[in-house]
Order: sequence, then structure tokens, then C-alpha cells
Amino acid sequence: MAAKSIEPEFVITRVLEAPRELVFRAWTDPGHMARWSGPRGFTCTCEIDPRPGGAYRLVMRSEDGVDYPISGVFREVVEPERLVMTMDPTGHPAQWHDLVNPNRGDDPNPAGQLITTATFEDLGSRTRLTVRTRFESDAIRDAMLKMGMTEGWSQSLERLEELVAKI
Amino acid sequence: MSPDRLDMTFSALADPTRRAILARLASGEASVTELARPFEMSLPAVSKHLKVLERAGLIARGREAQWRPSRLEAGPLKDVADWVDHYRKFWDESLDRLEVYLKELQAQGKKDGRKKH
Repeated sequence: MAAKSIEPEFVITRVLEAPRELVFRAWTDPGHMARWSGPRGFTCTCEIDPRPGGAYRLVMRSEDGVDYPISGVFREVVEPERLVMTMDPTGHPAQWHDLVNPNRGDDPNPAGQLITTATFEDLGSRTRLTVRTRFESDAIRDAMLKMGMTEGWSQSLERLEELVAKI
Repeated sequence: MSPDRLDMTFSALADPTRRAILARLASGEASVTELARPFEMSLPAVSKHLKVLERAGLIARGREAQWRPSRLEAGPLKDVADWVDHYRKFWDESLDRLEVYLKELQAQGKKDGRKKH
């Protein structure tokens, strides 16, 4: 367990005004998923087979028509509590991969595989959603470990953002 | 930025004293003596932190032997922040949309429910 607390990961939490079953459905029903996946202004098409070992594929399209496909496999599906899925961004545009590592050379996916865990916590009529991402790329993991984070990565990122905002 | 350089930047930022030094330098250049004052640290200890920051490309130091003022080099910090920002934005905006969509769904559900009665 001790080792787990220093897993380099990105954590984001939201309390949503909806019951847990509904939030879980929004993550596992392709019709629902397509309505909210991706940043502002994006549209999305998606196929989901939400069972352990089942595959999914999302294609998020930006307002200027650039596709950001993600595919992966569900490792865990515990309705309505928890989803663990792999995310492979290899199909993302070249510029995205250059942002991850400008010196990536021939590497088609410098970010490596991302493992995303979504947990849905029942708060009555509301739901606490936590999304954790673990990066399998050695370079990214090393960098995150070196930040010495024990309380999750996002906290030190907030500090970093505060710092950068002052510059 | 190369992975090595990214590593160096992250490890330089891992130390709270070094982050505080950077925050101080964000408001203007300063000498070692000025930087040591708020930390109750010896000048050699502060110099050591400055060397780490300089190697990571986070600060630059003047040439004057006596004073050698340090100043912030924003480039590497911004690279790390940009990279992280991109990923955070993806989730932030997706979850914003999820929030709105869940509200729509529930409002729709209530309307449909009323029709049945």
C-alpha cells in the first residue's frame, strides 16, 4: 500500500448534481458518452462495450475538424461504482504528440498508454466523481515521481500553475 | 523540451525552498543575500539551490562577481505547465459538459415523468 501512495497520477474530482446510477450510465452508454466527451466545442462519436475486456473507441472532433481518436479496453467494470480503462492516444494528430515530447523522433505515441480509473461515490442525490490517470510512459512517470508527490499530482500542479501565473 | 530537460525541471521544482525562491524572483531579480533573508538559510545553502535552478534553466545569473543577481527564466516552467495544462483542460472541459448534460437529462426525465401521469 505504501508504494501505491507514490504512484504518479493525475487526479481530478467533481461533485455532480445527479444520482450515481445516472452518472455511471453517462460513462457507459455510447449515446450518453458521445454527448459530453471532449473539450468545449468538440463533437464525439463512440462505440462502447462496457464489460471487463470489452473495447471502446471514441473519436473526438475539434471545431476546426481535427480528429482526436482514443481507443482502449475496460479492465474493470463494477456497476455503478468503478471503471478502469486503458486509453491509447496513438491516433491523435502529430502536433499533439509533439507537445508531449518535441524530440519524439519516430515514436508514434510518446505519451504511452494511459490507465484511467473513474470512481462514482454515492452522495444521495449527488455523486462524487474522481478520475485518476496513471501514465505508463517511463519519462512521464519518472518526472512525476521526482516531484515527490504523495497526495496526488494535481496538488503540486496547482502550485506550479500559481507560480506560472505570477510570471 | 527533451525528456531529460523536463526531468531536470520537475526535480528542481520538487523542493519547496526552490519554489519559494522562484516565486520571489517572479517579482524581480535578487542577490543571494536578498534571497537568503526570508529562509533563515546560510548563503552557501542558498547558492546550492540556485545552482540546481540554474542547471534546470529556470534562472539565469548575472556576471558581476560580487552581486550576481538571479532572475527568472520562464521558458522551461511554461513548457511543463503547458503540457500539464493541456491534459487538465481536456478533463475539466469534458466534465463541465458532463455536468450540463446530466442536468438536461434529469430535466427531460422529469418532463417525461409528468406526461405519463
